[in-house]
Amino acid sequence: MAHVTFIHGIANKPPAPDLLRIWREALANSGDPLPLGDLGVTSSLVYWADLFYEKPDEDISAHEGVLENTAEAVDGGGGAEMPTPRTAEEAVFIDALRKQMTEMSDAQIAANPPAVPVNPQGALERVPLPWFLKKAIMSTFLRDVHHYLFDVEYAPPARPPVRIQQTIRRRFVEALAAPGITGPHVVVSHSMGTVIAYDCLKRVADCGGVDGLITLGSPLGVDEVQDKLQPEWKRDDGFPHERVAAGWVNVFDRLDPVCGFDPQFANDYCKAGAAAVEDIAVQNEGAWRHSATKYLRQPAVCQTLRRMLGL
Amino acid sequence: MGDGPTIDEVRERAQKSLAALRGMCSDDELSEARALVEKLRNQRDYELMGKLAEAVSRRDPKDAKNRRLYAQYLIDTGKATAAIDLLQPLARRLPKDDPEFAEATGLLGRAHKQIFFDAGDKGSSGAREALKKAIEAYRGPYERDPRSTWHGVNLVALLSRARALGMRVAPDLDPQAIAAQVVATLKAMPAEKRDEWFLPTLAEASLGLRDWAVIDENIRQYVAASDAKAFQIGSTLRQFTEVWDLENRDERGRALVDMLRARLLRLQGGELRLAPEDLQRVREQPAPPEGRLEAILGTYGAQTYQWWKTGIERAASVAAIRQKMGNRMGTGFLLRAGDLGREPAGELLVLTNFHVVNEQGTNQALRPADAEVVFEAADPGKPYGVAEIVWTSPVDRHDASLLRLETPVTGIAPLPLAAALPVIDDTARVYIIGHPGGRDLSFSFQDNELLDHEGAPAGNPQIPGVCRLHYRAPTEGGSSGSPVFNSRLWQVIGLHHMGGKIGVRRLNGKEGSYGANEGIAMQSIIAAMRA
Repeated sequence: MAHVTFIHGIANKPPAPDLLRIWREALANSGDPLPLGDLGVTSSLVYWADLFYEKPDEDISAHEGVLENTAEAVDGGGGAEMPTPRTAEEAVFIDALRKQMTEMSDAQIAANPPAVPVNPQGALERVPLPWFLKKAIMSTFLRDVHHYLFDVEYAPPARPPVRIQQTIRRRFVEALAAPGITGPHVVVSHSMGTVIAYDCLKRVADCGGVDGLITLGSPLGVDEVQDKLQPEWKRDDGFPHERVAAGWVNVFDRLDPVCGFDPQFANDYCKAGAAAVEDIAVQNEGAWRHSATKYLRQPAVCQTLRRMLGL
Repeated sequence: MGDGPTIDEVRERAQKSLAALRGMCSDDELSEARALVEKLRNQRDYELMGKLAEAVSRRDPKDAKNRRLYAQYLIDTGKATAAIDLLQPLARRLPKDDPEFAEATGLLGRAHKQIFFDAGDKGSSGAREALKKAIEAYRGPYERDPRSTWHGVNLVALLSRARALGMRVAPDLDPQAIAAQVVATLKAMPAEKRDEWFLPTLAEASLGLRDWAVIDENIRQYVAASDAKAFQIGSTLRQFTEVWDLENRDERGRALVDMLRARLLRLQGGELRLAPEDLQRVREQPAPPEGRLEAILGTYGAQTYQWWKTGIERAASVAAIRQKMGNRMGTGFLLRAGDLGREPAGELLVLTNFHVVNEQGTNQALRPADAEVVFEAADPGKPYGVAEIVWTSPVDRHDASLLRLETPVTGIAPLPLAAALPVIDDTARVYIIGHPGGRDLSFSFQDNELLDHEGAPAGNPQIPGVCRLHYRAPTEGGSSGSPVFNSRLWQVIGLHHMGGKIGVRRLNGKEGSYGANEGIAMQSIIAAMRA
């Protein structure tokens, strides 16, 4: 039976069943509707927000990709603090990733700058949102990416800490191996979830294979992220052909700050030296272009998923 | 899904309560029965509600609330005059400051309003008299307490309709002024006192202000909400069409009614009945501008409306199966022979139940020579005779008959078939389009919760070669031979063959029974045809 495994991105999320329902609804409400349930396609979600947050976000409507007035609605919910580097390598990584987002110092941000500067330098500076929201987004992004790629031991209050990368990898591997999935099997990943999906499909030995991979609003084009995926990642052999049988389609919005300035990465993830990833540009509406549901409502995403599922 | 008792649990408790009330029941058992009457009302299980309300009345004839709920059961089951006979003495004996007095008089107004609703000719003397009495019934409590917005909003609606009909009733009352007062009262209400009827009442009262910007904004507040309830939007829709007559007023009014219908059908438990002429009108008229769809229905307004229009288009391919020159006996639908693996592939055939049409007329069915097929939404004046039954399967298997018509059908599209059955989860729904009970000239669009099926991946068919589906609507079943559609694409997944039964054995060897409708999966019918 055809199956879609979703994996979410940065920031706190609603409870897993609600998030899965919201994402399926977004596909079903696309301009080219793809109601997975009606089509007999089962689906599941790799959920990892609980490793970072004490409890799920109860404001479910904030995650439906309509509002842009709270941190929760713009992938900045949960009150994450900027990560503290433990080594010089981590400090360099955080600093470089931060520079992708903004050129401004903490003091300049605190001085209440205009939402969109006259000459925007960083990816986040192109986003017409107030800076208190952009700061929440940046802290969340840097914390989640750092903790995963450096496998930090972490837990929300009153819970024993766990190794973030190891724990999420295990969840992803187990989700792919769930009983009853025959195929076609497609992974649809968003944001930080694209890094996790790639990491597992390329670098984790006991991870199962899938037929297709879709990445939405992915930071996998950012050099600092690619560096942390070595040695398995190589520019001329970065495609996860070991576990992705058919295609990898990357969907991006040029104004999505999480993609940084490298939203297309066909040349970064080649198969035997040749481009193999299909990059598709879309234009999400509104000020916050990174929203998962906005990507999922794109007809191009539905058409790609339909094709990969053989529908 | 809520955490309260399920429909089956409430029904089971109600049956136990009925048994207890027949014997020496305790005070606790009587209290439980009283509470269950209201729960059954909320679940719209009127038949059982009426039985239990009657049983409670025999034990405690002075229980005013139970008597009032009993009257509501009577109204909702088409016995408005009996409800009036019950409510009038109840209102007379209750003190005017008793909260049940206002409820009883309001319901008296509703009973008269229902008689007006049901009148085919709203200008007839009976309808006008009912309208007048309804106005009187709502006027008294409203004038005693202008904070009573329920009475006030009904007064606005009924007065507006009376004025539109040219009736001279309560000439001293100005509906626009009352509407303004109701809106002001509602807006002044503290947030903690606003109940679930606050927004619907505000939306309806806004109609009386005749300011479309305010009307659209107030309607959107509850219609577009993610927790909107089908019974509330159904109630608003009934008021807007039957009392306000919005469909016949102007283009904006018609568009508003259509948008409410689209939203209602999308909601869990949504059901619509439309006359064939309404279906034709909706098919022909252009969609409202996208901006207004979003203004009223929210972000997905355009998609919701498009989905609804597709459903309306599908209805054109649904036919009434009638006894020649006689009553409806069931429903059938148009399919392309090629989709069933038959030749000639382009021929259009009609599928219905074996128990609706079969060669011998067994199971009280029609013989082909006695049956005619009418596509009432597309071409109501053209009956098609049945030339022959090209394939059939008895009631205990697929309960299906595939009909070739005497003359080819033109201008009506065959229904598309789904390649797979929906995934079973707590959000899975199916829709039925049919002619329930065969009794009135209307199409019914009904949202059903998909309970289970015997298809992949976990299905375990109990009858070899037959794949069944179970689904349930909060209202009645019926509609033998109707197509069962998946919820978003309006593709046919099954042939409906049994509706509204309780005690239906669960599928896939699961223990126990429940109330369910049953259909046969199209793919198993096609497989049997090909065998």
